[in-house]
Amino acid sequence: MIFQGRAISPGKAEGRVLKLDGTFSFLGGVNASTGDLNVGEGNIAGKVFVFHSGKGSTVGSFVMYDLMVHGKAPAAVINNLAETIVTTGAVISSIPMVDKIDTDVILDGDEIIVDGDEGTIEIKNTKAIRVVSSALLNDSGKVLLLQRPESARSFPGRKSLVAGKIEIDEVTEDAAVREIYEETQIKVLRPDAYLPPIYVREDDVIWEVYPFLFKIKDQEPILNKENVSCEWIGPDEIKRDSSIVPQTFDVVDRMLKKMK
Amino acid sequence: MYLSKEEEGTLAGEEGESRRKAMELVVALGKIYGAEDLIEITSAHLSGASYKTIGDGGLKYLEDMVKGKAEISVPSTLNPVGMDRERWKEMHISPAFAEKQLKIIELYKEMGVQATCSCTPYLGDNVPSLGDHVAWAESSALSFVNSYIGARTNREGGPGALAAAILGKTANYGLHIDENRRPTAVIDAEIDGSVFSYSMLGQAVGMAIGGGIPYFRNVNPTVDDAKTMSAAMAAAGSVALYHVEGVTPEAGNFDVSGLETISIGKKELKDAYDKLNTAEDVQLIALGCPHLSKKEMRDIASFLKGKKKKNKDVEIWFCTSSKIREECAEEVRIMEEFGPVLADTCMVVAPIEGTFKRTGTNSAKAGNYLPTLCSQNVICRDLTKLMEVVL
Repeated sequence: MIFQGRAISPGKAEGRVLKLDGTFSFLGGVNASTGDLNVGEGNIAGKVFVFHSGKGSTVGSFVMYDLMVHGKAPAAVINNLAETIVTTGAVISSIPMVDKIDTDVILDGDEIIVDGDEGTIEIKNTKAIRVVSSALLNDSGKVLLLQRPESARSFPGRKSLVAGKIEIDEVTEDAAVREIYEETQIKVLRPDAYLPPIYVREDDVIWEVYPFLFKIKDQEPILNKENVSCEWIGPDEIKRDSSIVPQTFDVVDRMLKKMK
Repeated sequence: MYLSKEEEGTLAGEEGESRRKAMELVVALGKIYGAEDLIEITSAHLSGASYKTIGDGGLKYLEDMVKGKAEISVPSTLNPVGMDRERWKEMHISPAFAEKQLKIIELYKEMGVQATCSCTPYLGDNVPSLGDHVAWAESSALSFVNSYIGARTNREGGPGALAAAILGKTANYGLHIDENRRPTAVIDAEIDGSVFSYSMLGQAVGMAIGGGIPYFRNVNPTVDDAKTMSAAMAAAGSVALYHVEGVTPEAGNFDVSGLETISIGKKELKDAYDKLNTAEDVQLIALGCPHLSKKEMRDIASFLKGKKKKNKDVEIWFCTSSKIREECAEEVRIMEEFGPVLADTCMVVAPIEGTFKRTGTNSAKAGNYLPTLCSQNVICRDLTKLMEVVL
């Protein structure tokens, strides 16, 4: 699957991902002669080096140059957000770099093509599945969660918003309305809030999720066989329930704020 | 980001590889800060000069730049390096370090940079004017020229400032733009007016305001006061611009009614002082952060005249620019009785950690960086109290 980010340092490269969670300082974080990481495991030479953002001393830019001189530079860099030190280091060392990528969708060991001219990354051997995920908010201020069966192909046994695949050529909003009716027999018209798609990684699948929020009158859903049970839950409680699929709280919270 | 046809050409390599690389860097940095276009600059001041800080990676980078025929196109000066060019042996510097340091200076010179090796180029070698757009690195110097002179620069890093110097242009964002120069808080200060009190005021404000733009009332800093205060605020926080009512040239442009007021009094100054003082005694007293001005040289010399250094165990270094050292022959003669008057360098960028563990200074900036960059415990006091140890 291809993601559009922002081009920071030009050039194209392909390689296997070495990913660190959080921020990274090249000064102190890596041995410039060998490419061995001092924080975490592994060696960044020739890898697509993925981390959230740079930090630390401005000398870090020269550490990247030193890595390049020793032939131990990463093949490319991907950040959520570029800052001065890593940007400078990548450009002077001719390391392709792209930012504004949600690095949560990238897994350690992925094979990635980075295009620093176009600002894109392609995660090879993954497929994107486009889905809608709708929060139904009733008059009592509670959100409907559906329990997925243990036999479900994705997120078995977990609780989720009202979700389902978008058909080919289907408008996302129509897909949301359709899925809600199919799974709950509740009729809705226009969404009261929505967000740009978020991406959730599950093995070789990248779920491209279009979130919606619909306000409805208090009523009970009539479930079809896709779900085993349901419950109404206060938005704050979503955070505390680990059986709910990832990012649900964040998505509902952002849409509630948008509505106000 | 908008680039002119000519700039597009530079980016495509029409003017050679080194200008292409410089453009790539300026554009990349402009992008991450949301610059709309590039802007012409009248001067640059470059950091990344000490071998201690830039290491072999930095040295190789500069070698490759020179190999690629990189040349600056606006007047540019260089920050202090890791040692005095001539008197490095007195600083306990190894010949291996000295060789690499001298090489770095030569490489900058080959690119056309004026190798003044000072953090106070605005005192004579490189003086911008009100409204000039410039690309300066060195946090204390860029804050001084932004604030006291009213030139315009962001906090450039070493390679970014060099790239801007090569192009004669930098990315147009941040402090180059009028509306981003507005004060963010009013500082109501109560200090005794000594140079040291301005250093402590800068420390307290930097700690309180972080990266904001302070607007001072009730203070009247001279050049030397502003020099140490700029340095302190940039080290304790990341202040790149401040205004002083009735003193700095842009202070009158802003309506500050409605801004938050931060009071700095005895308590805040004591907190600032306590944060910087982490030692009981010292092995080295180092003065000149930022580099000593002519007036400071005079003040120190007249204070020391007729006195004797009694404590032989403590070394004293005076750090200034080579220009001011040349111009102050009489002062230098008096000061040399106490310790070397060093040019081109300072206690922060020299590798003093190989020789000393505890250092005394009268600079809040040095007080911030000596523990982290030089592994020192620090005493930070005003000049006379500091000198009591040795007199």
